Amino acid sequence: MQIIKNDKKAVRVATEILKSGGLVIYPTETLYGIGADATNPKAIQKLTKYKNRPFGKPYSIAVTNQKMAGECVELNTAAKNLYKEFLPGPLTVISKGKHKVAHGVESEDGTLGIRIPDFKLVMDIVKKLGKPITATSANASYKKRPYSIPDILDNISDKQKSLIDLIIDAGELPHNEPSTVIDTTLDDPVTLRQGRIKLADKNEVLSRSEEGTQNLAKELWQKYESHIGKRAIVFALQGEMGTGKTIFTKGLARAMGITELVTSPTFALENEYSTGQEKLFHFDAWRLEKPDELRALGFEDLVKNKSVISIEWAERVSDIIREFDDEAIIVWVKIDFGKAENERGISWGVTI
Amino acid sequence: MKILAIDTSCDETAAAVTEDTKILSNIVWSQASAHAKFGGVMPSLAQRMHEERIDWVIERAINNSQLTINNLDAIAVTIGPGLSIALGVGIDRAKKLALKYNKKLIAVNHLEGHILSSLALTMNSQFTINNLQFPALGLVVSGGNTILVKINKIGSYETLAQTTDDALGEALDKAARMLGLGYPGGSILEITARGGIITAYTLPIPIAGQEERKIFTYSGLKTAMSRLVKSEKPLTKEKIYNLAACFQDVAFTHLVRVCSYIIENCELKTENLLVGGGVSANVELRKRLRHMGKKYGLRVLFPYSKKLTGDNAAMIGAAAFFKAQRGEFTEVDEIDRKPNAKIGD
Repeated sequence: MQIIKNDKKAVRVATEILKSGGLVIYPTETLYGIGADATNPKAIQKLTKYKNRPFGKPYSIAVTNQKMAGECVELNTAAKNLYKEFLPGPLTVISKGKHKVAHGVESEDGTLGIRIPDFKLVMDIVKKLGKPITATSANASYKKRPYSIPDILDNISDKQKSLIDLIIDAGELPHNEPSTVIDTTLDDPVTLRQGRIKLADKNEVLSRSEEGTQNLAKELWQKYESHIGKRAIVFALQGEMGTGKTIFTKGLARAMGITELVTSPTFALENEYSTGQEKLFHFDAWRLEKPDELRALGFEDLVKNKSVISIEWAERVSDIIREFDDEAIIVWVKIDFGKAENERGISWGVTI
Repeated sequence: MKILAIDTSCDETAAAVTEDTKILSNIVWSQASAHAKFGGVMPSLAQRMHEERIDWVIERAINNSQLTINNLDAIAVTIGPGLSIALGVGIDRAKKLALKYNKKLIAVNHLEGHILSSLALTMNSQFTINNLQFPALGLVVSGGNTILVKINKIGSYETLAQTTDDALGEALDKAARMLGLGYPGGSILEITARGGIITAYTLPIPIAGQEERKIFTYSGLKTAMSRLVKSEKPLTKEKIYNLAACFQDVAFTHLVRVCSYIIENCELKTENLLVGGGVSANVELRKRLRHMGKKYGLRVLFPYSKKLTGDNAAMIGAAAFFKAQRGEFTEVDEIDRKPNAKIGD
């Protein structure tokens, strides 16, 4: 492993290593990313080994401009508008892939996330290489967001360290959110992860009753249920006291086919319900004193076991939940009081 | 029969030694912590895990009983309902002790412990179980549960009504929090409510007029309270007193209305109501339940000490005694946590 500063020769050294199938950790305007030649199958295998993540979880890639993006993916109008408006910048736009990259970079459904980082070093490397590089965060799965090189190295094994060929160390980066992720392959572009860039949020409905809230839970369940058994599905519920987080979970349980009575887990901290086949783990973070207690309650194992989880007061433990961005499908649901007594504004966003 | 009982179902680490239904010792960590055995504050994580304190609590329960573990006949432990990892700590210890000292194991449902907690007695009590006629009614009002059951006989329960959302204790704690009284604030809310006027505000009585649904529900009341508190801000002392009084009044009114409906309409032919759980320490609630009892010719029994209302192990020992009488022991390799354990299905 070689560690160099972000100086004149960095672009040349990095490009050579990428050409030979190596892994390069580089700074961006969000986090430290780890790059591999996205068209080189061996390099991608090496990256998957480093990230220690299950196969089938796609990587987004960095390109220099819309033209280069168009060689890798089909750009529809929604995508083109986003490119025009926001790129380069902290935004990942998902489009339908053209299968020009190595196996494992596109998702199982053939979609591909494109990023044009607003960071000269990365642009220069990609330009010199002439090929897209992966733009995934440099941390291993489940580990801390990498804003500095120690954030990465302190959290990985020697074996993982040995897979890194080059680190371009730009010191501690400003603690910006990871990129916003927008999927343009769906009818309505859906925000999968909210970063600094905020789009007019279309994922919002007005519920006029408890039944309405339960129905929305059902719809969200049906939207993501196909991932069951492949990845953990986490419903992270936020909202003031009395907005209906338990009601939402009742709707979720009903949609899953659970007939047991779902009650507030505030006192017990966690309740478990079962359909006989599927289980729903229902947490409440209200009484937790530190976010870390969620871990102590076995959250990590549940994610690894691809469980279905609902967490009330998720804002109190959001840092812990976000650590599983890679492994779990996280549906962030926010419930607000409406104008009328029974009205609730419910908005959501998903990280896949 | 002398039993060591252990309960680690949620927050409290508890152990007790009982002889039949009499309590020889009853240790709950929150009291014991005053002795500052460990000094300083423990990380909250370890507190929830029970691991750090369980051995000390058990040892103290045995010492206070003036017995040694060799004199005991069996070990009882709560297997649920409760938090899975917490239950596991108590069950593990119970198993280890049962193996080491060759004792029989009794698996106890935490809710049955609460239901029978009013039958757990001091050494000198004259009251015996023979005075009690069955069927009887059992009411558990706590932070985690609100349930009314028919006790056909000890060990046989039928659920008559239970909460569909928040437990009564939870609702009181949350209302206290809304009023800035801290958490858990149910007992502070009780004191605050004494200084207020219940008619100062109008909160909706949950499912008023629809008691035939036979449910308890507090989420709607909680939401209404949240809106009311917001509209009353900034809160003055007087407002806080009145809001506390009003909320508690409506919460208890709902409980009593549903219980009354069931007593009037379900031909239960009972003469006794056994009440347990943390909220049964509330003096105002005791008054109202006694009043209800008088109306329907019911004798209402409460735990004799406040220590028996919250989570504790003495009630587990008492419940275990009845199970032992029926020969209901569990093998060491078969006992397992049941976080979802029900009663009366």
